Amino acid sequence: CFYAFVEDLCSLNQCKREQRCVFVTFCPNSCQSIPVSNDTRDLLLATVSEDSTASQIHQSVSALSALGLPLASQEVVSALKARISKEDNVLAIILALLTASRLSQQAELGDILEEIEDLAARLDDLGGVYLQFEEGLEATALFVSAAYSLSDHVDMEPPLKEDQVIQLVNSIFSKKSWDSLSEAFSVASAAASLSNNHFHVPVIVSAQGPAAVSHSHPFLRLQVTDVLCQPLSSASVLAESASAVSSKSAVLSQALFTLRDGVFELNFMASQPASGYYQFSVAIAGDSRFVANHVELKVKVSTRVAINNMDLSVVDKDQSIGPKTTRVEYPTKAKASFMADGHQNFAMTFQLVDETTGVELTPHQTFVRLHNQKTGQEVVFVAEPDSKNLYKFELDTAERKTEFDSISGTYALYLMVGDATLENPILWNVADVVLKFLDEEAPGTIQAKTLYVPKPEIPHLFREPEKKPPTAVSNTFTALVLSPFLLLLILWFKLGANISNFTLSPSTILFHIGHAATLGLMYVYWTHLNMFQTLKYLAIIGSLTFLAGNRMLAQKAKWFPLHFLSFGTRLISQI
Amino acid sequence: MSNSVFSVISRFVEEYRSSTPNKLKMIDAYLLYILLTGVFQFLYCVLVGTFPFNSFLSGFISCVGSFILAVCLRIQINPQNKRDFQTVSPERAFADFLFAHTILHLVVVNFVG
Repeated sequence: CFYAFVEDLCSLNQCKREQRCVFVTFCPNSCQSIPVSNDTRDLLLATVSEDSTASQIHQSVSALSALGLPLASQEVVSALKARISKEDNVLAIILALLTASRLSQQAELGDILEEIEDLAARLDDLGGVYLQFEEGLEATALFVSAAYSLSDHVDMEPPLKEDQVIQLVNSIFSKKSWDSLSEAFSVASAAASLSNNHFHVPVIVSAQGPAAVSHSHPFLRLQVTDVLCQPLSSASVLAESASAVSSKSAVLSQALFTLRDGVFELNFMASQPASGYYQFSVAIAGDSRFVANHVELKVKVSTRVAINNMDLSVVDKDQSIGPKTTRVEYPTKAKASFMADGHQNFAMTFQLVDETTGVELTPHQTFVRLHNQKTGQEVVFVAEPDSKNLYKFELDTAERKTEFDSISGTYALYLMVGDATLENPILWNVADVVLKFLDEEAPGTIQAKTLYVPKPEIPHLFREPEKKPPTAVSNTFTALVLSPFLLLLILWFKLGANISNFTLSPSTILFHIGHAATLGLMYVYWTHLNMFQTLKYLAIIGSLTFLAGNRMLAQKAKWFPLHFLSFGTRLISQI
Repeated sequence: MSNSVFSVISRFVEEYRSSTPNKLKMIDAYLLYILLTGVFQFLYCVLVGTFPFNSFLSGFISCVGSFILAVCLRIQINPQNKRDFQTVSPERAFADFLFAHTILHLVVVNFVG
């Protein structure tokens, strides 16, 4: 407690009511020696009622209990219950929980205790990993510290299941920097209550450094701490099982870690695991409060690789001459260079073994690189193992000439071996190989492969118009198609088409005009209009023609042949 | 054999000339005209090619449609069929003929391109 506040407290009567409460709330219990006036005490007691907000009740109750003043717990409980039902937001209920943890244990805190379960039901599950209130991180962290402080106070286990606690821990400690001081305070408060309460203590297990062992570092080291990174020395760490990821065979079972300098360690190399990845299942026991005390870890076992039996040979293609094999030891280089032209193949075989155990290895990267020192060209091939894990590489110069661009010369041969589980990746200049290609095919100048220049343009080919027949043919056929019309006229004339009975009455004339207009519209439609415009005009002309035609029908003039004749002119459109 | 065929044909032509009313003869002339037009269009297509296929189709369909409509008109006007078409007078038949032709030509001109 800061005694600088004492003077302020003495002059509390002049200060505003809320400020006084805030000053004293966060005092530790030793503030009981501060003298407090009766007015202040009455003010604080008066705040404990249904009409103050939950935060005001919390501040005055905390002030009263910190100052050691008596307060009626049952009144506080009923005021809190009334506030909870009125305010019903997460923060108010959390403050009620915090207030209740300051009250006497004899008070009836059962209803307030039930609020923990109700609040826990309001948490949002995000992907099964995080559990937090929609109000945010601060509310979640304050909830955790309030729930545990009240549970400790009444000595009843909070109704939070193990995976809920794990998810809450994930949410609360998900950020590495916080937006406001109050958010940081809430996280610190949650961390303190999670590492130091009577019921649930989440355990954090992490490997010290990378989770990898090798012959030089045979110990797997684990740090077992609570959320405040305080080591749990009373714990006992047991590796329940360790099995290889690739083959799923168990390597270890029920091995106990030993504690040394606050770190738990296990000599994994003593079980002589082959190199690769292993899945560890670790259990932490020692305290019934431990939560999240079964962990899965992936551990890498590294090793060093050695190259055995590196044999280089030049094999004649027709196999008339036996191959000459030269053995080269790592890391020396073959003294003589090898010659291969179109008639010979160059071959290389070797074995990759674990340096200590001699077990054959198949690393991820086994490359053979040929580098032309003069031109700077390099070509990389992959060496593949056969069924007995013996690596083979064969170079047929005739077959591979495209990769080399048929450039003859001396190439330095390198072997590259690498893998995540190898401690000593290898780049070894094994020998020099002189390759001879047919000289005619070599390009005049060496060009660097241009990958990122603009490509040649693709010209667009427009659709060719279809072949039309010659105009003479078209014209002939047009005449041919129109000729039957003449025939029709002749026939009608012969039959005695009746034009004489042409009565000039307005409806007849209108009908003929309308009819001709329809024909004209058809022609204009063909050349200029679209369907909608045509229908519009046709509606107008058609209705006029129809009315006129009706009138004509009523008159029953001998219109038949003439109209039939005029109608025939429609068929000129069949071109 | 050919004699009897010839005699049948000549008798048919004689009957036609004498007993068919003039109106029907005119419609028959029109039908012949339509037929020839259609045949010539088809001949062009067979000999030269289908290049503007839509034009060929529209012209040919126009011939076929006109032929059909004219045949309908002939049936309806024929006095011998009067019993079957008591509600349809020749004028009405002709009006229908004109109306159907308007629609046919609208479609044909749309398709001829």
